Amino acid sequence: MQEMANSFYYIGAGGLILIGLYMVLAKTNLIKIILGLSFLDTGTHVLLVAIGYVRGRTAPIFSEGMSETTAVVDPVPQALVLTAIVIGVGVLSLALALSIQVYRHYGTLDVRNIRGLKW
Amino acid sequence: MVNPSLLIAIPLAGAFAIPLVGLGSKRIAKWIPPLALAVNLVMGLTLFPKVIEQAIIISIGGFPPPFCINLMVGPLGLSLGILISLIGLLISLYAIDYIKTEPTEKYHALFLLLVTGALGIVLTGDIFNLFVFFEILCIASFALTAYQRDRMGSEAALKYLIQATVGSTFILIAIAFVYGLFGTLNMADIASKIPSAEPIHLFLTLAFFVVGFGVEAAIFPLNSWLPDAHSSAPAPVSAILSAIAIKTGVYAIARITYTLMNAQGVMLLISVGGAITLLVGEIAAYSQKEDIKRMLAYSSIGQIGLIVFALGISTSLGLFGALFQLLNHALAKCLLFLAAGYMISRAGSKKLADLEGLGKQMPLIVIAFTVAAFSLVGLPPFAGFMSKLSIVCAALETKETSYLALIVVALIATVIEAGYFFRLVQRLYFKGDPTTESSRPRVPEAPAGAMIPILVLAGLIIVLGIYPQLLTGALDLAAQELLHRSQYIEVVLGV
Repeated sequence: MQEMANSFYYIGAGGLILIGLYMVLAKTNLIKIILGLSFLDTGTHVLLVAIGYVRGRTAPIFSEGMSETTAVVDPVPQALVLTAIVIGVGVLSLALALSIQVYRHYGTLDVRNIRGLKW
Repeated sequence: MVNPSLLIAIPLAGAFAIPLVGLGSKRIAKWIPPLALAVNLVMGLTLFPKVIEQAIIISIGGFPPPFCINLMVGPLGLSLGILISLIGLLISLYAIDYIKTEPTEKYHALFLLLVTGALGIVLTGDIFNLFVFFEILCIASFALTAYQRDRMGSEAALKYLIQATVGSTFILIAIAFVYGLFGTLNMADIASKIPSAEPIHLFLTLAFFVVGFGVEAAIFPLNSWLPDAHSSAPAPVSAILSAIAIKTGVYAIARITYTLMNAQGVMLLISVGGAITLLVGEIAAYSQKEDIKRMLAYSSIGQIGLIVFALGISTSLGLFGALFQLLNHALAKCLLFLAAGYMISRAGSKKLADLEGLGKQMPLIVIAFTVAAFSLVGLPPFAGFMSKLSIVCAALETKETSYLALIVVALIATVIEAGYFFRLVQRLYFKGDPTTESSRPRVPEAPAGAMIPILVLAGLIIVLGIYPQLLTGALDLAAQELLHRSQYIEVVLGV
């Protein structure tokens, strides 16, 4: 049971990544594909945080009244996730802006009908 | 001594200065990219003699590696950095007159950001830092592909974005695995801890890395975005994407397979992937009957395949050939796209049929185009000959049946490549209606700002073809840096 609990976060992360990949591959609506990219991002972030997590420790933020020997989790993956979130926001907003542009030209968000180029 | 971190800082600062300067004067803002990149080129060249003696490590934050993010300015990183600055400088000169779609300062800012990303990728010594620079490069190139806001550009950019974002997610997953296995992100530190990991974990991580970077490098079957993005973008953007952006993916794959993972076992697999990419790219380019830029884009896929194939021959001659081919392809494909830009605007369409007979109307540009095309095919007086020759020699030297079989595939692909480039050059010169040409008014082929980069590139291709010794020393050192990973670890960690 303890084993299960330890791998719980990894299963969740893998699940989110697979849902994201499925959405990117199988959906035909551009917005759903972009949501899939968002799922992919989130799954990776959960994976990163899970790798740095140590059971029973607290967040690596030093505040008033906290002794210097308090056990904290690994702060590096959290810093990575912060950076990755910022990058993800940039990419997703650009993706949405581009889909507005595509909608203006084609009048649809269905990728089956957006065939100006060879898909 | 100049601080090598300025190589990244100057274009980055320039990129953010452009919109500010643009508020005052758009004419001055246009000149920031060439200026910043010219400074970069000079700095890179002055640093080079020192780097040949001893690689320079820049630690950020005052901690020694592996506890900080460090830059590793070795022969490989710096020679690619110089190449990126040179190509960037020439393309930014060309873009001053070519880019007319307002707001132009956004174009120039994005262009400098793209170059910053590429320089960061080749100079950094930290795997997560590499990912961040890679994302800077990717976001800038998505936006630039859609710069003209036309039907094709937006669609191609969206397609590029979706595929490249899935690719960069894979890279991030691989980075998470690496951090989970070794608890460090410093490339030299990871490299020194590799022997302690289980082979299956390493293989999985490597697979994620190669797939992730393979999307940007357009290795078959991850290449479907490239022909659309490169053919729909404006000419200078196609040039920088083909000459620089896809090369950074190849660099990252080389760095990870050689320095980071020491993955001798998968080299044959990488060579096979390269040979398939080469064949698919060249066949697809041959079958393009309509669009000249699409044909050049498919030819880029083929050339990337050749470079990756040579990377997989893990001998010093093979790596030398790969790096030399990378350099030649950067020069030649940049020139082809830049020349095609003005050929298309003169003919008024991208169709091959409409470009017939242009050789008589714009002799200089078409001659430069021919030089680059012949260099890519690998004809003797041009630079491409030497690199293709060294790749063939390297494959023969291994004396392994698998590599000998693959080089046969590569040579067949080269024949196909010669087929479509010769056909194109023949149509440019000898087809078309000669009577219409006299009725057209005589106008200059292109503004001076566009002619200079095109002629400089053509000159470089010829000079390098006649005197390859100018570069062989530097490229040899760069190849050695990839092969001798223990030296890399030693230089960075000081053990």
